[in-house]
Amino acid sequence: MKSTEYSEKVLDHFRSPRNTGTLEGDDIAVGRVGNPVCGDLMEIYIKVSDGRIEDIKFRTFGCGSAIATASMITELAKGKTLEEAMKITRQDVANELDGLPPVKMHCSNLAADALKNAIDNYRHNHAPGIEDSPTQSRCPDKIINQDRFTGNGVFGSVETERLRGKRVLVVDTGESSVAAARQASEVAPRVVFLTKKKERETEPGIMEKLRAAGVKTLFESEIVEFVGFTVLEQVLVHDLNEDNKYELFTDAVILICPCR
Amino acid sequence: MPEHIYLDYQSSKPVDPRVIEAMRPWLSENFGNPSSLHRIGDQATEALERSRAKVAELINAKPSEIIFTSGATESNNMAIIGYARRNQNRGDHVIISEIEHISVINVAKSLAKNGFRVSRVPVDHHGAIDIEKIRERITDRTIIVSILYASNEVGTIQPIAEIGKLCREKNIVFHSDAVAAIGLIPIDVARDNIDLMSMSSNDLYGPKGSGALFVREGIRLNPLIVGGGQENGLRSGTENIPGIAGMAAAAEIARTSIAEESSTLLRFRDRLIDGVLSAIPRAYLNGHPNLRLPNNAHFRFDGIEGESLLLSLNDRNIYVSTGSACSSKTLEPSRTLIAMGLLHEEAHGSLQVTGGRFTVEQDIETLIDDLPAVVDRLRKLSPLYREA
Repeated sequence: MKSTEYSEKVLDHFRSPRNTGTLEGDDIAVGRVGNPVCGDLMEIYIKVSDGRIEDIKFRTFGCGSAIATASMITELAKGKTLEEAMKITRQDVANELDGLPPVKMHCSNLAADALKNAIDNYRHNHAPGIEDSPTQSRCPDKIINQDRFTGNGVFGSVETERLRGKRVLVVDTGESSVAAARQASEVAPRVVFLTKKKERETEPGIMEKLRAAGVKTLFESEIVEFVGFTVLEQVLVHDLNEDNKYELFTDAVILICPCR
Repeated sequence: MPEHIYLDYQSSKPVDPRVIEAMRPWLSENFGNPSSLHRIGDQATEALERSRAKVAELINAKPSEIIFTSGATESNNMAIIGYARRNQNRGDHVIISEIEHISVINVAKSLAKNGFRVSRVPVDHHGAIDIEKIRERITDRTIIVSILYASNEVGTIQPIAEIGKLCREKNIVFHSDAVAAIGLIPIDVARDNIDLMSMSSNDLYGPKGSGALFVREGIRLNPLIVGGGQENGLRSGTENIPGIAGMAAAAEIARTSIAEESSTLLRFRDRLIDGVLSAIPRAYLNGHPNLRLPNNAHFRFDGIEGESLLLSLNDRNIYVSTGSACSSKTLEPSRTLIAMGLLHEEAHGSLQVTGGRFTVEQDIETLIDDLPAVVDRLRKLSPLYREA
């Protein structure tokens, strides 16, 4: 986006963002939202006391409007009760900034979502008795063109010689897929682990192992189609968080069925 | 603060003042139409044919093998669609790479909607094409292979001569989009076995709206624009003589100055790469370390996003490009960077710096001086960056 397409207020918040940083402590909650396609990632930290947002900070990886919207919402939410803060919408944030370019209204206007997420997390952490449902490993549904590329780009096990030097995607089907991703990373320059889970639903130990092996993880994603002519060239990925689809170039996909 | 530091020559180039002078008469006193039979028309015809010869000389082609167009997008359309339609009876399979210019990508998509099959060749993490990946995609239905000469984003120069040789052996026509490379590295269509090659005038410091397609003798295309049969029946419409004369003057300047200009740009490029990578932690060079265009430096910085980087540099009157999604109309990151295996968040932190004829050493030094503070400020705001 050109700077001339942003309002002065957006540019001001981009140049001098308010309330940047993080918070720590017992009465702190963090909300995290992201959009892997257009790339923005936002974290909002809230400190709650007597049901009010006493302090608020943010960090953003994103474009000018992503930084400006996060900065703006910290100003809007500070001092408000959780109920009041929950009511702040994307439109409110945009209005306070004297508008956003239309194309940015969706993609880079995540601040209201991040704040809601932080409040949800605060309530979740401070309400006893709620437990996360355990996730199970199971056979993934058949993907479009899966049969066509099986053995020719789509593999049911790690055959290191066939993965050497390739861009590899490993689909999360439980423990064996984590091992497969780590094994693949020994011969392949780029291994991506693709899981339907949200980041906070994953076991930190597993994520740490993958990170240590240089494997990147795409959360809340699933493959919906394999694309290619003579060989596998790309996959179509469904981003479950934003409910949109995008193409990802890949040479090999590892899909291990844990039931066998 | 500096007046303006323009380091985005891949996006657009100023017209060289010598080119403007060469164009001037064709806008006013010599306004003839080459199709006219009188003396004023003859002047235009002579200018047209002289121009054809100058553009041909730059790439070691014959004058009759140059077809003037409105630019590289039209040339790419003319070459690929024109050849595929003409040769449908021979086959229906087209091969392109994953890192082509959007015009080639969309030409291929449009062919795919009209009964053709399209294969896309991957690149390695340097953005280079492996000729074996082309070989394994060739079928007996393949009629044309289209591979760009060098990446317009990361600047990686492709093994064009090898690809040309392979296509010649397999009796497949080879098209190359040479927009990013022309005027920066010597191109010889005979040496490289190229059959069709797209060029644009602005990439040679000529006017926009002017370009050319090299069509090897004996290769037949279906025209996309029909009418009075100009340009050997391939491109009807009265010739854009000022634009063509401008492109020809630009080609002549490029031919005589390419060696010296490229060696200066190469020195600037290497100084910039060295300066940026040593001043900024967790900064990386995208593209090939050596096989890259002499004017192209392409970086990525962990933990930050390109549009923010661009806006910050814009505030300092420094103008560059990024592969970030936020800078594009579709909000999708650069296909080239994704094809090279970068994840979205990595592609978002990219910065493309391209120098050119009017770049001076101080431009490079200012960028090296200013960039660390800009990157540092954005990293302090970012949840993705942790001090290593």
